[in-house]
Amino acid sequence: MDTSHLVEHAGAAGSLFASIFVVATLSMRTMIPLRVFAILTNIVLIATAIPSHNYPTLILHSVLLPLNSYRLHQMLQLVRDVKKSVSSDLSMEWLKPFMTERKCATGEVLFYKDEKADSMYYIVSGRFKLVESGIELPVGAIVGEFGMISPDNTRTQTLECIEGGLILSVSYDQVEQLYVQNPAFAFYFLRLASARLFQNIETLERRLAQQTVAARGGAAKSA
Amino acid sequence: MASVLSSLRYLFADILGDDDCARPFLPDGLPAAAVPIVSDGIHLLMDYQGPSYAQLYVDRVKRFVGRHEVDSDLLCRIARLLAQRMAYEDPIRSAQLKLAELGSGPARRSEPKKFRVDELVGALPETAGDPLFVVCEKLGWLHRQVALRFPVSSRTGVRCLRLGAGLRRWRLFSVRYDEERAWVERWLHMISRCLDKRPASAAAVVETATMVQGYGEVYRRGMADWHAIIDGLAKPTFDGMLPLADLAGAIAAARAAAMPDPRQVALKRTIAQIRARALAMQPDVNAAE
Repeated sequence: MDTSHLVEHAGAAGSLFASIFVVATLSMRTMIPLRVFAILTNIVLIATAIPSHNYPTLILHSVLLPLNSYRLHQMLQLVRDVKKSVSSDLSMEWLKPFMTERKCATGEVLFYKDEKADSMYYIVSGRFKLVESGIELPVGAIVGEFGMISPDNTRTQTLECIEGGLILSVSYDQVEQLYVQNPAFAFYFLRLASARLFQNIETLERRLAQQTVAARGGAAKSA
Repeated sequence: MASVLSSLRYLFADILGDDDCARPFLPDGLPAAAVPIVSDGIHLLMDYQGPSYAQLYVDRVKRFVGRHEVDSDLLCRIARLLAQRMAYEDPIRSAQLKLAELGSGPARRSEPKKFRVDELVGALPETAGDPLFVVCEKLGWLHRQVALRFPVSSRTGVRCLRLGAGLRRWRLFSVRYDEERAWVERWLHMISRCLDKRPASAAAVVETATMVQGYGEVYRRGMADWHAIIDGLAKPTFDGMLPLADLAGAIAAARAAAMPDPRQVALKRTIAQIRARALAMQPDVNAAE
């Protein structure tokens, strides 16, 4: 049986669908739908390339399909992790896959007070101290996340490495890219940042209350 | 059409080295005596790099405006030295100065300037400079000196100068800029800590900026001496690890011992002596108490 006319029709229909999906992909404003349509385009073009023996197209889209799927998976996972973090421990560990590793030597200063902030850090190992307040940061702490959303964008403390270790860093530009590419991420990131700010306010209020009680106790004793 | 062009400029801003920041204003509360100095600093840095770099200078000066330990004289000194240090001398600056000289009349024939290979490579944008760094390091050329002539007698010479001066667009992406930024921030941080812990010695810490000048070997030596003094005397004092009674005097003594010696023998010996004396005095102080 001659199937050449079927292949021809399938090829024409596939090209039509692929063209529609390419237009749809390029007209998406945000990353998740863009990746979804890109995957659909890859599938249609692979399906069309097989019967028509168009091997270059087949190879190209067989490479692009897993790439698009992986990037989509990364984006969805990011949104899920940020969402989970908002409703649990407010941790920022979800940023780790987007961060780059950097070794720090003893005495190295990561940033100075009043300097323009441009990145945030995650402490993996070693000992790090905020010079002005003398606070030592524990392993697993995130530093510099508020610099990104603060209006003046400046560091409020100096961070010094007091025992060599490893940190992960991510620039604000990279986080901003995630933010604008992905509205769901942006929404949960804002909620997370606000929740961390409220948590800080609560800690400060608790400390203030403790100090007030201590001051009253001292005044009562002296009276 | 204008909006399309503006979008394209925005898209390629990093590649074009575009700087659309407005000219910075003087900081509020600046003492009258500091106004001409900060204005000069802004002019210098506008010419050196552009408005956003001048804005960075203003932001850095602002950190000391209104601090009660900083009088007008000290602020003027910080502002002047900061502007000088931010307009650091690299091959791009040398080309800029030569072109400016040419624009204001017939340029004089000048001596070639000796830069180190790492300074020349460091003036390039990081993406281009990094691979070159690796290659030069493998060949052992990094510390070699190269005499750069800035010829103005021929058209080709002037074109080369324009090309060199044009690299200014990417100066803030260079390895050298990163080093300079870290140095300036460390100097300002030390001034700030000195104002908190030892306000009487602040002028001496401010003046240490004069140790780092020029280019080539002189610059590297000045930088190494500065770090030795800060790491050996100033920082341990601010950290409470070194009980130095007279920090300003100790800095002056160490600076006097800084010789043109790459091994810093005299300087390191003097710093060690000052530290030993200060630490030996500590038990006596405790005993007296």
